Amino acid sequence: MIEQVGFGLVAGCIVLAALLVARARSAIHGVLWLGVVLAATAVLYVMLQAPFMAGIQLLLYVGGVMTLMILGVMLTRHHQQEDALERKRPWLAGVLSLSLLGMLITAIQKTPEIPASETTPATIKDLSRSLLSEHALSFEVLSLLLLATMIGAIVLLHRDRPSRLTEESP
Amino acid sequence: MTLGLCLILSAALFCIGLYGLLTHRNAIGLLLSLELMANATNINLIAFSRFRGDHIGQVFALFSIALTVAEVVVGLAIVILLHRAYRDARVGRASEFKN
Amino acid sequence: MPSSSFSLALLALLGPGAVALLLAIVTPLRNRVSAVVLSLAAALSALAAAIVLVKGQLQPVPPQLLTIPWLLQDGVPFAEIGLRIDGISTSMLLVVTFVASCVQIFSVGYMHDESKPAQGRYFTYHSLFLTAMNILVLAPNLLQLFLGWELVGVTSYLLIGYYFRKPSAAKAAVKAFWVTKFADMGLLIGLLVLRSKVGSFDWDAAITPAAANVVTLLLFIAVMGKSAQFPLHIWLPDAMEGPTPVSALLHAATMVAAGVFLIVRGWPLFAVAESTRAFMLGLGSVTALVAATMALFQTDIKKVLAYSTCSQLGYMIAALGAGSLLGGFFHLTTHAFFKALLFLGAGSVIHAVHSNDIRDMGGLARKMPLTTLTFVIGALSLAGLPGLAGFFSKDLILEAVGEHGVSLPLLLLLFSAFLTALYMGRLLLRVFFGESSDKASHAHESGGFLILPLVMLAVPALATGYFGGMFGQLYGTAYHFHLGTTGVIAAGLGLFGLGLAFVLYRKSEEHPALLQPIARLIEFGPMDRLYEGGFHRIALPFAALIGWIDRYLVDGVMNLTGLAFVVSGQKIRRLQTGVATDYVLATVCGVLALVLYGVLR
Repeated sequence: MIEQVGFGLVAGCIVLAALLVARARSAIHGVLWLGVVLAATAVLYVMLQAPFMAGIQLLLYVGGVMTLMILGVMLTRHHQQEDALERKRPWLAGVLSLSLLGMLITAIQKTPEIPASETTPATIKDLSRSLLSEHALSFEVLSLLLLATMIGAIVLLHRDRPSRLTEESP
Repeated sequence: MTLGLCLILSAALFCIGLYGLLTHRNAIGLLLSLELMANATNINLIAFSRFRGDHIGQVFALFSIALTVAEVVVGLAIVILLHRAYRDARVGRASEFKN
Repeated sequence: MPSSSFSLALLALLGPGAVALLLAIVTPLRNRVSAVVLSLAAALSALAAAIVLVKGQLQPVPPQLLTIPWLLQDGVPFAEIGLRIDGISTSMLLVVTFVASCVQIFSVGYMHDESKPAQGRYFTYHSLFLTAMNILVLAPNLLQLFLGWELVGVTSYLLIGYYFRKPSAAKAAVKAFWVTKFADMGLLIGLLVLRSKVGSFDWDAAITPAAANVVTLLLFIAVMGKSAQFPLHIWLPDAMEGPTPVSALLHAATMVAAGVFLIVRGWPLFAVAESTRAFMLGLGSVTALVAATMALFQTDIKKVLAYSTCSQLGYMIAALGAGSLLGGFFHLTTHAFFKALLFLGAGSVIHAVHSNDIRDMGGLARKMPLTTLTFVIGALSLAGLPGLAGFFSKDLILEAVGEHGVSLPLLLLLFSAFLTALYMGRLLLRVFFGESSDKASHAHESGGFLILPLVMLAVPALATGYFGGMFGQLYGTAYHFHLGTTGVIAAGLGLFGLGLAFVLYRKSEEHPALLQPIARLIEFGPMDRLYEGGFHRIALPFAALIGWIDRYLVDGVMNLTGLAFVVSGQKIRRLQTGVATDYVLATVCGVLALVLYGVLR
């Protein structure tokens, strides 16, 4: 019973905050509401017996991505007007999204339910063993990707080396 | 708490993200919406991992998070570049694709 | 010794090929005497190889095959390419290389006045021709034979058009090419039919008589073109525009014989094709008669010989039609020798008199004794004088045709034998005896290069007839000469023809009044006119119609399609806004459709 209520609360939090992200008037508000969504998702992970993932979620998303986003907003903000998130064709977007949601829910309802598994939840040990044995190659490729991203970001944004776009700017 | 509920939550989050993606003009807004959608998929993965008793879902979610982070980094870099070029972060202006 | 015979055959094949390639690529080499030397060396070495090969075939040995798979499809070869060494191929190889060597030696003298590059070109063509002919002769299946066949056709075009600055020579080359190419379609279609019926290009594959009739009839169309059979003979007289040695090699001895060789080679197919052979017998005898008649009324020495060639090829075809493989091939061989001899002799005369017209000649016997002697040997051999080569082979043919009693083809062939003696007698009398004209009065005997091949060819023209037994061995059929009724009649008709020629043409070349209408008819050129009319009335309007359809219907559809794409592209271009969110919207619509499909299914 407690569990049900807890899930309801968390789910409500996530959906509400997400709606606020989508409807946010200014970028900085959107970013902050996104932080709420991500933090609530971390709580959900705990409830789903994935505490390690919850930690990662907090560390990477709330800690890393949020900081980046806020930095980005601040770097690109010059005028108050620009900060406002303009919207276009909200009706069309709403209809499309709602119809997709309806279809997805229909599909989910049609599918038979799986009862919760009784096995013990995965520990960090399990995850790390899996990552470094079975998925070792993907793991290494991922690290390469992150390295490439880092270098790419530096190359794109390095001021001393003017890029094509900045040269063409008026 | 059942798998169905988790999936519906994830679907709702995804659709909200989609709505944001379709309505926002600001590049930052688009990025935020993408984050919402990525988060929705992660919830899916974790939920399946829980209900199937298989930790592979968590491993997958881990990869997914790392990829999202990389995406955010590149996306923000592009946003900043656009801003430098046009003094404006609205994607609508960036119709450079059109030649 | 299979391996050594294969290397010999390869030498005969690749020697001239290498020379042709070398001369074609290295221009400086072509402009010197080295072209002549190289080409001659290749021909002579091929001749030596052929002699050794034939010697090896005199004992009964099974055919030797050396093939490599060609055009692999999923590991299965579409066809094979390589060498086949047996009695037929080696004896033909010997004939080809021998005549080619003689002709090349002759050409050294005959083409002496040409410029060095022109000579180089000439000998390059000769080497190419020899290669093509050897590819054809040594072919292990019909596909490779077709390859050589077409190469021979191209070389023939090049050599007929050797004096390409002369419009008539260029025209004749094109005409020869067109007519033979038209006929070659038969060979190509026949090949495809054979492949679809028996699954290979081998001529000794098992085949039903009905299929064999279809295939051989198609092949025979090609033979009619290449071996100048009525009504596709029209290119051969015009082909005399080429240099005389070329006429001797291609249009008398070897290339035109390729058609006969095709039948000999494809004998397993032709043997079961009764209807085709009946057709061959009829057409061959008609050709023999028509061409012999035409030969009688020519004034150009080379055209007399050209029509004579048609006529003799008709004999060979008739022999094969009557089912005598040995007769056809034996006559091919003897004819190759004496007709090459006659053409080279004519070349020697033309070289001395500087004219092709027999009215410019006369009384050359005293001035050119050796040429006269060898020419007379060739002519008498052709006329079928008993004891000479032509007599034996012709006798074999007549015997085969007359095997089942007196028939129309037999009568036609016998009458042709009489005509042959008549026109050869006329030619001899007008060219070598009687009073000499102005041009002929300054003639003198030709040099060594011209005389040597004449002597070389005169020997087999005299003596080949006595080697019938050897040919029988090469073919695996027994040959015993015995003089039958037909032989006696033919010999009598030949002698009568020579005698009549002496009576009719001793004094003048004017034809007797009785023959004047035929002369006028031939001058009118009915066959050429028929083709020309057909070409102008049927082929050209048809081509114009096709051209109109192509220009306005086919092209119209194509242009309209293109225009439609351009216009619609300009309209659709508007859809591309270049705004990222618009693309997202389109993507979402697609995803929605997919999900909807998934849910509803």
